[in-house]
Amino acid sequence: MTDSTTHSTIDFLLTFADDEHLMGQQHTEWIGITPFLEEDLAFSSIGQDELGHAVMLYELVLELQGIEATDTAIDELAYRRTDEEYRSSAFVEYSTEDWAQALVRHWIYDTVEEQRWNMVAESSLQPLREVSVRAGREEVYHRRHANALLDSLLTSDAARQKLLDALEVLTPLVPSLLAPAPSEQAALNDGVVGGSSAALDSLLVEAIQDRFGVEVSFATIDQPPQARLTRSEHFAPLIGRMREVLDYDPEASW
Amino acid sequence: MIYEVFLKKDGRDEYRHAGALEAANDELALVLARESYLRRAEGSRLWLARRDHIIEGGTDFVAPNADKPHRHHDGQAVAAHRKQVREDRS
Repeated sequence: MTDSTTHSTIDFLLTFADDEHLMGQQHTEWIGITPFLEEDLAFSSIGQDELGHAVMLYELVLELQGIEATDTAIDELAYRRTDEEYRSSAFVEYSTEDWAQALVRHWIYDTVEEQRWNMVAESSLQPLREVSVRAGREEVYHRRHANALLDSLLTSDAARQKLLDALEVLTPLVPSLLAPAPSEQAALNDGVVGGSSAALDSLLVEAIQDRFGVEVSFATIDQPPQARLTRSEHFAPLIGRMREVLDYDPEASW
Repeated sequence: MIYEVFLKKDGRDEYRHAGALEAANDELALVLARESYLRRAEGSRLWLARRDHIIEGGTDFVAPNADKPHRHHDGQAVAAHRKQVREDRS
């Protein structure tokens, strides 16, 4: 790989990895407080899966940087970059204490994530293809879990209204999730990824129509031109919570 | 609804009762049982049975057989008898 190829691939991988990392963090923050015990276990397991996907992607980044992927190196990459160096979306940075929002976000995120893994299933980067097989298997469960809950809840008028309210809150954030990595075009040219994130827009609009019977449009929502280069107001408190234990004793070995 | 959870490991072990869970329907029960009972690879197969589908024989029905000692013999009396008959014939 040339230096510029390596750079754009790393940027592309970080965009995906940071979404996985923060989504996993958000899900696991529900441990102990989801509406019932079995869901507590299921939802935090799903969060752990997303954290696992992030680790696999961070490992690829370190490999491309020529750094050995030790736990310390992964932590450094995952927790210690400056705000500007992260590539996460406002969609996953958004923190909520509303279970309906957490559930609808889980469904939207995994709908998109499944497609993102599909888009790298034929990647020119061989280890990324392997990661996509493993993550893709886990996504089957994530999607089935989200759909099983929604199938059940959408039959109740009261629950349905809460879910639609949640969808309304989340819709303006969705374009940030669909926003491409700054280097997406280069990653496409290099065959690292096989499809552009622009294709996800219509797919998600259709999926939401099928799932919730609601018509949404993301095209009309204002979006910063390089959404992946800026952090939302939710990022600072979130990364603060994530660093809390590490900061308590920076020299500790885990 | 309450579902009873049975797990089986690979190999010759039989399905074993692992616990129960409450879920609104079969699909949710499956999805939730997986992470509640199998997230540490406690089994490789899963049965769920709705508790109200289980045919139960209660203690009133089952217990009376406990007071029939003649059904609890360990075979010694029969073995002794067979031995005696063999010896008498030889």
